[in-house]
Amino acid sequence: MSWAQPVLVVFLYALGTAIATGLGAIPFAFVRDLSQRAVAFAGAIAAGLMLGASFGLLAEGTRRGGWETFIGANAGVLFILLTQWLLDGRGEPGIAGARRSGRRRMMLIVIVMTVHSFSEGVAVGVSFGGGAALGIGIAIAIAVHNIPEGLAISAVLRPQGKSIAACAWWSVFSSLPQPLMAVPAYLFVEHFTRALPYGLGFAAGAMVFMILVELLPEAYEQAHGSSVALLSSMTAVAMLLFQRLV
Amino acid sequence: MSILLLVTTIAALAAALGAIPLPGAAPVRDARRGWAGALAAGAMLGVAYAVMDARVVDAPVAVAGGATLGIVAMNLVHVGRVAARRRVPEPALAAQARQAVAGVAWHSAAEGAALGVAFLLGTRFGGVLAATLAVHNISEGAVLDARLAPLGVGHRRAALLAIAAKSTQVLLGAAALLLVAAYPAALPWGLGFAFGALTYLLLAELLPESYRFAGRTSIAVVVSLAAGVAALLGNGLR
Repeated sequence: MSWAQPVLVVFLYALGTAIATGLGAIPFAFVRDLSQRAVAFAGAIAAGLMLGASFGLLAEGTRRGGWETFIGANAGVLFILLTQWLLDGRGEPGIAGARRSGRRRMMLIVIVMTVHSFSEGVAVGVSFGGGAALGIGIAIAIAVHNIPEGLAISAVLRPQGKSIAACAWWSVFSSLPQPLMAVPAYLFVEHFTRALPYGLGFAAGAMVFMILVELLPEAYEQAHGSSVALLSSMTAVAMLLFQRLV
Repeated sequence: MSILLLVTTIAALAAALGAIPLPGAAPVRDARRGWAGALAAGAMLGVAYAVMDARVVDAPVAVAGGATLGIVAMNLVHVGRVAARRRVPEPALAAQARQAVAGVAWHSAAEGAALGVAFLLGTRFGGVLAATLAVHNISEGAVLDARLAPLGVGHRRAALLAIAAKSTQVLLGAAALLLVAAYPAALPWGLGFAFGALTYLLLAELLPESYRFAGRTSIAVVVSLAAGVAALLGNGLR
């Protein structure tokens, strides 16, 4: 049963990232509404952490195979593009647009965030295949990234009269694919070690694309470019340093 | 040094290609202007990654320290430029043109510093990054031309201004190479500085402008692909 312990570790870290999404509901216990600027800054910090984490994944992947990592990264981009295309028919809500929403938007944002969580779960699982330090670094980055996602979900649910507990629950629910996807992704790269650079590239490509297609454009809509750039680049450097020193 | 001067000069001259439209080609506007900016941003991101990855394993604290300095320095200059622009709400056309050229010159200085330190890691690595930045320069030349055209600046003049703005790449490349060659212990700091400066610049200027002219999905596709290719080339040939 030597395989069971690392699997449990991967599951628990991925579960932790999902639970972190619920933290996004906490500010709404104190205020009815958060300023768009505060949400933008949270998004910029999340973008920086994910960028730093993606660089860590790419570095690990390219040491095992540059082309394999590159192919995996493009597959990750394609995966998010396909997800977007499937969701587009439903009218994907963004963080900024979310507040204009009613009950339908409320359901949509939960669906969109849940679908996005699949690739994040894969990222956590695959990164543990590259070693515990890499896995923990990625799990922390995704956990912190999940908090603004929880903020976005709560920002839609709270004005609809939902309780703080319900906001937190739906936020966590949207990230439940993370522990569910992390374990099979980890087992896959552990048993098919040749797949690891592809997997690391996939996770990095998917995360970078999500930064570019969601987090940064939303942040630029509500905050000045220099503030977004300062927050994102500083947190990316902090994440890189953290990954190296862990 | 002579190779650095040669390749950075070629890269600077490449900017003119972007400013002079191909025969029969439509002017670069709107979505294509956004994609040109995204191509430049993606190449910059890939180069930033390759430069950072060169020493982050051996000297993470020095690379992170240099990156912080690079980010803070670029932020101070950026905020200063924005404040100066706000003091003159409606500048004359000539002043607007000067501001556009100064913006490109400022980017190029950081890119030049990155090239200078990259050449200390190896001629092939530096050469690949210079080739990537030459492609990036073509995109920036096209974006500069699109900005200058409404101000009454013709393509030929825009091409010359693009080369002039990009000449800071040559100057800063040589300065960075000489400085770090004199103090080899400063190499991880120099690489970190280049990484931080490039990352800040693409996040503060290139990306926000690109999103204004084209949809976020197409921008994200172009940036990801360009960054991937630049990182692959930089990493594989180091």
